[in-house]
Amino acid sequence: MPRYAMVIDLQRCVGCGACSIACRNENNVPEGIYWSNKITETVGTFPNVRYHYIPTLCNHCEYAPCVRGCPTKAMHKLENGITMHDPKKCIGCKYCEFNCPYGVIYFNWEAPHKFWRDKRVEIKDGTASPSELVKEVGGKAVPYYNPERDATLPGIRPKGVVEKCTFCDHRVNLGELPRCVEACPADARIFGDISDPKSDISALLGKFRPFRLREQIGTNPHVFYIRGYNPAAYQPTKGGV
Amino acid sequence: MSENKGLYGIWLAVLGIAIVVGLITAVKLFSQGHGLFNANDVLIWTLPLGVYIYLALASSGLTLLAAIPLVFGVRKYEPFAKRLVFLAIATLVGAFVSIGLELGSVFHMIYIMLSPNFSSPIWWMGAIYSVELAVLLVKFWKMHTGDWHSGFSKFLGTASFILALAAPLMIGSVFGITESRVTYFGPVMSIYCLLMAFLSGTALFILYSLVVNKVTGNGVPAELYDEVALIFTYAAGVVAVFTVLKYAIESATVVPEFLVYRQFEHAFGTVGVFHTEVLLGLFLPFVLLLIRSVRKAAGGKIVASALILIGTLLMHMEILLAGQSHPVGPKAEQFPGFISYFPSIWEILVFVFALAIMLLLYTLGERYLKLTEAPE
Ligand code: SF4
Ligand code: SF4
Repeated sequence: MPRYAMVIDLQRCVGCGACSIACRNENNVPEGIYWSNKITETVGTFPNVRYHYIPTLCNHCEYAPCVRGCPTKAMHKLENGITMHDPKKCIGCKYCEFNCPYGVIYFNWEAPHKFWRDKRVEIKDGTASPSELVKEVGGKAVPYYNPERDATLPGIRPKGVVEKCTFCDHRVNLGELPRCVEACPADARIFGDISDPKSDISALLGKFRPFRLREQIGTNPHVFYIRGYNPAAYQPTKGGV
Repeated sequence: MSENKGLYGIWLAVLGIAIVVGLITAVKLFSQGHGLFNANDVLIWTLPLGVYIYLALASSGLTLLAAIPLVFGVRKYEPFAKRLVFLAIATLVGAFVSIGLELGSVFHMIYIMLSPNFSSPIWWMGAIYSVELAVLLVKFWKMHTGDWHSGFSKFLGTASFILALAAPLMIGSVFGITESRVTYFGPVMSIYCLLMAFLSGTALFILYSLVVNKVTGNGVPAELYDEVALIFTYAAGVVAVFTVLKYAIESATVVPEFLVYRQFEHAFGTVGVFHTEVLLGLFLPFVLLLIRSVRKAAGGKIVASALILIGTLLMHMEILLAGQSHPVGPKAEQFPGFISYFPSIWEILVFVFALAIMLLLYTLGERYLKLTEAPE
């Protein structure tokens, strides 16, 4: 059985956000919820400032606090290491969200895709309402509905349950890459089987010194970051004197 | 008498209205979702959860107090026992109302039984309180039918006592094993919850009994309340010491999470260096209780217990909110650095609903179930 993991190469990542957009389309993610997200940081004082961008997603932790705390095993581990959620069993206690050290779980506070449920038209007899548009294009809840998501998880999660990234388990099951990996124009995301020493990610983890988010907590996250984008150079001096 | 009857009718009508409003709130929440709360993906748990913790702990406190006559055999307290067990049941029902309306998908609750996760403190908390409710109900029934001292009845008393010890520890550990939130991590929350349970349960019992005493006049000798007031004073003292210790450590450390936490900690304002709710809801009543004449006076007991009851709720709320005040990880991209909070009307109505159910049970129990009955 493979153990899936992801390496994100921060030197290649240009911070374009294509991963996040692709993720929304693939997984029918509602407004306000982010399965694929980012941490940004501006450091320094003007004019010596830099902007850092770290893409984030569920880390599919080995010792996942979200799984440990879930009272109904709605949040559970698959054998391939993916942290998966079953909305049918979810009582909406939000303990997983409270417990996740990485802020990647969201709760459906209301029925999802509110925008697309709106029946009001912008211009009477001129434009279609969002809900009419959805109907016209034959979508379900959203015009760009992806039915493939339904293979392992309800394509639209109902109100009252949580949701988060599943490493695109429905694609991975078919031998495809997670959509964010596919969509990345800079090939900054490398996905594979960390238990296979010959996999690309195993090779990268041996070649570069990776870091992971909040490693000290002991969750053993399976999203690794390597390198960092920094083309800046500076004049060599003796101790800056 | 007729004046009392009139008041009773008005009281029942008020509770009835509150319950109808509560039912409307429940329907609204189940149909529209919890977006009606002023909660979000940073401030995940708000007033309804705080109320649950508060009432569930108070229920455990009442059960612990009931153990004095029922488990430790202090027979002079037997006139309190039946009322204590009844109050524990009714308060726990109130807690269940609040948590029921806090859960997003209460209809999936069946999976708590079908797919239990024994490593989850939430699971254990739910299981312990459910068993506790059943045990208390049977125990009450036994007492009501005159069986106080049979082996089975005693077993029920002991079982309820053990469950009432375990439940607050488990509520505390829901927070205590959250590695991601350093300000909660460790055994502190469990110990705190147990102490707060005993304190608030005792406060609730004293306040309730004295108010009922005033309204209906009951036969329990006043000295017994003086003794409970002394126990209450000790409990307040222990919580006061623990609170000072907790604050001292929190304000001395420079662990970053505590620095952030401190900026939000004063949800209810401060007086000098002290948080208002701790000062007025814990230290002040403790000092009042230390004054013998105040402790002995019915009015003194009522004021002290009322202050503590309000204080403990606010203290729970402050701890709950402060630990969730800032976004975790990437959520900082979407939410402000600190989240401010005031409950929405729907959250307040959940609170009102839980209280109304609890008070209705108290009222009916007091009227029909002979709560001050004790064995010969
Ligand atoms: S990142 Fe959060 S949601 Fe994902 S497995 Fe780890 S604890 Fe669970
Ligand atoms: S919100 Fe759902 S998935 Fe998360 S801990 Fe509660 S029951 Fe489990």
